[in-house]
Amino acid sequence: MTTKGDHLMLTSARLDVANDLLGLLRDSGTEPRPDTQLEALTLAVAADLPVLLWGEPGIGKTAALGQLAEALDLPLTTVIASVHEPSDFSGLPVIGDDPAVQGVPMAPPDWAVRLVRAGRGLLFLDELSTAPPAVQAALLRVVLERRIGTLRLPPGVRIVAAANPRSSAADGWELSPPLANRFVHLQWVHDHDVVVRGLGGTWPRASLPRLDPALLPDAVAYARRAVCGFLAARPALVHQLPTSETRRGGPWPSPRSWEMALFLVAFATAAGTSREVLSLLVRATVGDGPGLELLAALDRMDLPDPETLLADPGNAVLPERGDLRQAVLDGVVEAVRKRPERSRWEAAWVVLVKAMETGAPDLVVVPAGDLAALRREDWDVPAAIDRLTGAISVSRRADREGVRAA
Amino acid sequence: MTTLDSEKLFAARLHAARVRPYLATALFALHPVESRTVPTMAVDRHWRCYISPGFVDRTPLDELAGVWVHEVSHLLRDHHGRGDRYALAHGLSGPGERLRMNIAADFEINDDAYGDGLTQPAGVVLPSLVRLPEGQLMEEYLHEFRLGPHTQNLVWLDCGSGADGLEREWDLGPGDAHGLTDQEQDAVRFRVANGINGRPGRASRNWQRWAEDVVHPPQAWRDLLGAAIRSAVSGGGAGEDYTYSRPARRAASLPKVVLPSLRRKPPRVSVVIDTSGSVSDAELGSALLEVAAIARAVGGRRDLVTVLSCDAAARVVHPLCRAEGIPLVGGGGTDLRTGFTKALRTNPRPDVIVALTDGHTPWPASRPSCRTVIGLFARDTGHSSWSEDDPDYVPKHPPDWARVVSIG
Repeated sequence: MTTKGDHLMLTSARLDVANDLLGLLRDSGTEPRPDTQLEALTLAVAADLPVLLWGEPGIGKTAALGQLAEALDLPLTTVIASVHEPSDFSGLPVIGDDPAVQGVPMAPPDWAVRLVRAGRGLLFLDELSTAPPAVQAALLRVVLERRIGTLRLPPGVRIVAAANPRSSAADGWELSPPLANRFVHLQWVHDHDVVVRGLGGTWPRASLPRLDPALLPDAVAYARRAVCGFLAARPALVHQLPTSETRRGGPWPSPRSWEMALFLVAFATAAGTSREVLSLLVRATVGDGPGLELLAALDRMDLPDPETLLADPGNAVLPERGDLRQAVLDGVVEAVRKRPERSRWEAAWVVLVKAMETGAPDLVVVPAGDLAALRREDWDVPAAIDRLTGAISVSRRADREGVRAA
Repeated sequence: MTTLDSEKLFAARLHAARVRPYLATALFALHPVESRTVPTMAVDRHWRCYISPGFVDRTPLDELAGVWVHEVSHLLRDHHGRGDRYALAHGLSGPGERLRMNIAADFEINDDAYGDGLTQPAGVVLPSLVRLPEGQLMEEYLHEFRLGPHTQNLVWLDCGSGADGLEREWDLGPGDAHGLTDQEQDAVRFRVANGINGRPGRASRNWQRWAEDVVHPPQAWRDLLGAAIRSAVSGGGAGEDYTYSRPARRAASLPKVVLPSLRRKPPRVSVVIDTSGSVSDAELGSALLEVAAIARAVGGRRDLVTVLSCDAAARVVHPLCRAEGIPLVGGGGTDLRTGFTKALRTNPRPDVIVALTDGHTPWPASRPSCRTVIGLFARDTGHSSWSEDDPDYVPKHPPDWARVVSIG
C-alpha cells in the first residue's frame, strides 16, 4: 500500500529521471565551422543597419540570434510580434486625472523600459509577418525610428526583425518598395549538414568577424573608392524602382541602399571577411543584379594595375584564375594602346611571356595578336617573342580548326 | 602511357572561345586538372575540369572544343545544384538517379550546343534517344524518362560531380586547389549572362533564355498571384486589424488604459474574367481555382467571392463555379471595362477586383475605387497582337495602378 507521501516521492523521483534524460539530450558540443549567413548577420548588425531576416518558421532564426547576442556580448530580448497589440509598441495611452491639463501619456511596455535602462542589448522582433497590419506598422516604426512610445532606444541597442517569406506568410505580408529599401534583406536558410550534425550532438560554432582598429581608415577609403567608382561607371544603377511583381518587397538600388552597401563594404573590409559574406550582404541591400555587378567591380579593383605591371614587368605577378588573368593581359595591351611607346610595348611583351610561362597558353593568344598589331615601323620585334612559340602553335592549330569549320 | 597533349587541349579551348565568344569568360575560368582516373573529361562543382590524357589524344581537336563547351555548360547551368535540389524535393537517392540526372543535364545542353563552328562529338546523347522533344529543361526531362533498354549503353556516361552532384573519387574536394567559391561562380555566371543579354544575337535561344533567368530568376505565378491578392485583400479596410472604434475585451480589467480591439472584416473579392480571348479552358480553370482558394485562405467566405464573365460563351466558368459554389453573376460584352463597372456597382462594393485576361481589351481610364490585381495570360507577342480589323493593332499595356501578374 502506498501513502500519499510515498506517491509524491515516487513522482518527484520519476521527474528527476526525466530531467536526467533531458540533461543528456541537451548536452551537445560545438565545433568551429564557417557560417556565412551568421557572419553576414553579425556584420550588418554591427554596422547598425536595419536587418530583416526572411525565413520559414522553425529553421533556427532564434537560435542564430542567441549566437549573435553572445558574439556581440549583448543581452537578448525577443518580442514575438504576433502576440502583441499595436499599443505595446506605440505606447499605451493612459488617462490621467486631468487629460486636458496633463495630456495623455503613452506608456511604454516593461521590456522597453528595461532595455532603455540597460542602455545596451539586442532586440529581436520575431514573426513580423503574422501580426495584424496595425502591429506591423508600429513595429516598423520601432525598427526604423528606434522609438517605442515616448522612449527612444539608446545607440547601444541593436534591432533585428524576422518575417516569413511572402509565399508562406499567412495573409500575404509584404513590404512596400519604400519600406523594403530601408532594410538589409537576409534570406535565412538551414544547412542540411549542419542540422543533421547538430541533432547528432555537435552544433557549429561560427568564427565571428571582429573589426581591426588599424584597418578602419583604409576600409573607409576602399569602400568609398569602390562604390563611387562603380556608380560613376554605371549611372543607371543608382536608382531603379522595382517594376515587376517578382522583385516586389525585396532589395532594390537607390542612393539610400547604396549608402548601406558602402557601409557594408567598409565593415567587411575592416573585419577581413570573405567575399562570400560580402556578396550575401551587398545583394541583400541593392538586389542581386546590381550587387553582383558591384562585386565584379571589386574583383577588378583587386587585379594588378596594368601600369604597375608595365613599370616592372620582370616581377609581374599574375592571377592564377584564367578569366582574371585574361582580363589583366587585356588591360596591359589596352594601356599600351592608350599611350604607345616603344619601352611600354616591349615591357608588355615581357608580361605576356611571363603569362605564357606560368599558365595556360591559350590565354596569351588574343592579347599577343592585339599587341603585335600595335607595332610601329621602327620598333624591332623583341627577342622575348621567341618564347611565345607555344602560344603561337596553339593559335595556329585553333586557326586551322576555324578554317575547316568555316 | 600517353602524356597530356596540352597544346591540343588549349588549342581546342581557344577554338571554343572563338566560336562561342560569350562563353569565353567561363571557359577560361575552368581550371584544368590532368587525371588518369576520369574516362573522358569531367567537371566538379568547384569549376575544376579533370582531363584524361588518353581522351585528348584520341579525340579530334574540333570535337574536343565541343566537349569544353559541353562541360562548361554543366557548370554555368548549375546542374549539380539543381540536381541536388531535385533529389531533395523528390526524395531520390543512389547512383542510378545521379546517372539519370547526368543524362537529363546532357539532354538540356546537347540539343542546341553544336553546329555553328562546333562539331558534335561522337556518342553525344540527345533527347530523341528516349523519344522526348528538344528544348526542355533538365527537371522536365527528369520527370519524363526512366533508365531502361534505351539508356543501357549510357552507363559509361560521366561528366563528373559538376553535372550531377555526386562526388567522384578523383574530385579534389572543396579546399583551395584552384577551386572557385560560390560567390566567384555566381560572378562568372553573371558576367556570361550580361554578355549574352548585351548582344543576344550571338547566342542560341536556349542560352538567351538561360541568361534572362540568371539576371531575373522566374517565380511561380501561383505564388505571385497569391501574394498580390492576399496583400490587396488584407490592406486597409479589410481583413483583421486593430481599431480604437470599439473597446477591447481586456479594457475592463485595465481601468484608465485605452485599449484597441481586434476587428474582423472579411474581404469581398470580385473576379472579372475575360473569356473572349484565346485563353484555354484549362488555363482559365486553374487560375480561377487559385483565386478562389486564395480568397478562402484569407478569410473570405464563399458568398463573398463573385465571378463575372465578360463574354456570353462562358464555357468553363459555369461548371467550375457550380463545383466551387461560386455564384456567377451576369455576363455580356467583350470589353473588360463593362466587367469593372459592373463589379464596382454591386452592393456592397468589393474590396478587391481580380481580372483574369489575356490583355486584349481596353482598360478603364481611371483607377477603380478598389484595389486591382490583373492576372495576365502570357502570350507570344508574335501572332496574338494581330487583329482582323486593324493589322497594326497592338494591345495596350495593363494600367500601372493595377498589380500585374503574368500567368503561365
